[in-house]
Amino acid sequence: MVSHVTRPKSAGPNGAGLFAPDLQVTVGSYVTVLAHLMALLGGLVLVAITILTVASVTGRSLIFMGLGPIRGDFELVEAGTAFAVFAFLPWCQLHRGHVTVDIAVVGFGPRVMAWLAFVGNVLLTLVAGLIFWRLLLGMADKQTYSETTFILQFPVWWSYLAASVGAGLFALVCAYTVWRSANEATGLGESAQGSGAH
Amino acid sequence: MGNLELAGAFFALLMVLIFLRMPIGLAMLLCGIGGSVAVTGSTVPVMAQMKTMVFDTFSSYSLSIVPLFLLMGQFATRGGMSAALFKAAEAALGRLKGGVAMAAVGACAAFGAICGSSLATAATMGQVALPEMRKYGYSDALATGALAAGGTLGILIPPSIVLVIYAILAEQNIAKLFMAALIPGLLASLGYILAIAVAVRLKPSLLGTSVDGPPVRSGATAKDIALGVLPVLVIFFVVIGGISFGFFTPTEGAAVGAAATGIAAVTLGGMDWRSFVGALQETATATGMIFFIVLGAAFFNTFLGFSQLPQTASAWVGGLDVNPYWVLFAVLVCYLIFGCVMDSLSMILLTVPIFFPMMSELDFGLTPEEFALWFGIMVLVVVEVGLITPPVGMNLFVINSMAKGVPISTTYGGVMPFIITDVLRVGILIAFPAISLFLVRWLF
Repeated sequence: MVSHVTRPKSAGPNGAGLFAPDLQVTVGSYVTVLAHLMALLGGLVLVAITILTVASVTGRSLIFMGLGPIRGDFELVEAGTAFAVFAFLPWCQLHRGHVTVDIAVVGFGPRVMAWLAFVGNVLLTLVAGLIFWRLLLGMADKQTYSETTFILQFPVWWSYLAASVGAGLFALVCAYTVWRSANEATGLGESAQGSGAH
Repeated sequence: MGNLELAGAFFALLMVLIFLRMPIGLAMLLCGIGGSVAVTGSTVPVMAQMKTMVFDTFSSYSLSIVPLFLLMGQFATRGGMSAALFKAAEAALGRLKGGVAMAAVGACAAFGAICGSSLATAATMGQVALPEMRKYGYSDALATGALAAGGTLGILIPPSIVLVIYAILAEQNIAKLFMAALIPGLLASLGYILAIAVAVRLKPSLLGTSVDGPPVRSGATAKDIALGVLPVLVIFFVVIGGISFGFFTPTEGAAVGAAATGIAAVTLGGMDWRSFVGALQETATATGMIFFIVLGAAFFNTFLGFSQLPQTASAWVGGLDVNPYWVLFAVLVCYLIFGCVMDSLSMILLTVPIFFPMMSELDFGLTPEEFALWFGIMVLVVVEVGLITPPVGMNLFVINSMAKGVPISTTYGGVMPFIITDVLRVGILIAFPAISLFLVRWLF
């Protein structure tokens, strides 16, 4: 909900910082493309969920004409939402979309803010890696037990597999933001769009 | 350490992490994992849980309503509906003293009927109404204050993302909560309009140069107004009515609303592919942000469950020999204080699992379900006050960043009359639960 403020397209100051800043900017542009495509894909799945649900509701209300709801629409909504949410996380992270409380530290200036962001990103990378790893293990479990959904009977691990694409990219993007914030902390400080909005 | 001390220690750690600017979702997740490990003395349960818990949280059917409502709000934002609503409201209220500001509030209320987010409402209406108020010479204080306050109507009037989250946490019916929020939401709009009327009479300088300026002419014909207002009204009644009368589930209602708003945005508002992609991107950021906090809260609440803190707190409050209204008062004041620095969603996710069972122990002369709805509406109102209270009121920042050259202190001052009506409204809602419960009792 912080995202409605205008935000510059490229994140991070160009060519400042101690850790190969120019390379970081180059890598960043590739990461941005990946995260953008992933978010777009997630968004299109969300639109597909919308259309599917509307079709199902319409079908259900026209039962007297021989139509009916789409079988297993709930299951498709659930699998689709999981995919979409995992696909949105990298984009959200790249655009500093997570909510933070800045008031206690804002007085220390952009450099301290950037160091705190660096620590946050390191922790987030660990957590994202953990989530990705456990998700893959969860998928292996579902595969072993051949768990299927109740109505459509499709294997649950398919949904896990789809979700793991976003989860993997999330971990990757988090790792990139560690690099980015390290350069911001040793360079010009955090770029403006990260602070203030929260 | 006993479990309660552990809960206290990790709660303190959570606060420290949050104030050290860790993302709130991350802080809750870390403290949740750490706390669970400390209580169970082993990493095995939490590691096993993580195999499925993240996927289960993100694939929850009841939560899938959130991205759909966000998408609907984005379509509404990009569909040109805000301008049409503002024109219509201006035609109705523009002639009154402070009428353009009142129109901004009215348009916010109408926009809130198809948008479940306060910031989106504030930002969208700000783009339309701020230049207009400046054109007529309104003071910066009134212009920015009215819009920041008006933005909160996005969540006070259903649909409302915060209310959806409350419904899930308190295990309540979303449809009934939406109905319960409707009259308090309208009351809020009325209160803000009255606040403008009173404020400009007590302090005419708020009107700036508008008194000597040109008469307000919205230039809208009856046809413009009808075209602007009708789609919004139709979508609102289909979505909220359909959910309330059980014609579809809340998630289905959100999907229908997103589809209808999307179609309206393309046909009436000229939304093109670029704008559509923009809507998806904004939905992605907001969804990612919300679900990450929800995930963190899921872990933290698992830990709280292990620690038995909610049960202990409930038992303690249940055994207190004080007037329950004092407890309610204390809890609401807590929300107001926290609201000055924290966002509404994090507050709800962090506190409702503790406060809700605790407050349910007290007797306010309502059935358990009625209490849950009434409490939900009051929590909704007080956390929304947090959006417009200095120093950290998100709506204030959003509007202030749009109003070039206006110091934030001016906006802080301008929003004061609206905060006063908020506080009055909380009092009225406490004194008369029927305001929140009337529609629910009548319809269900």
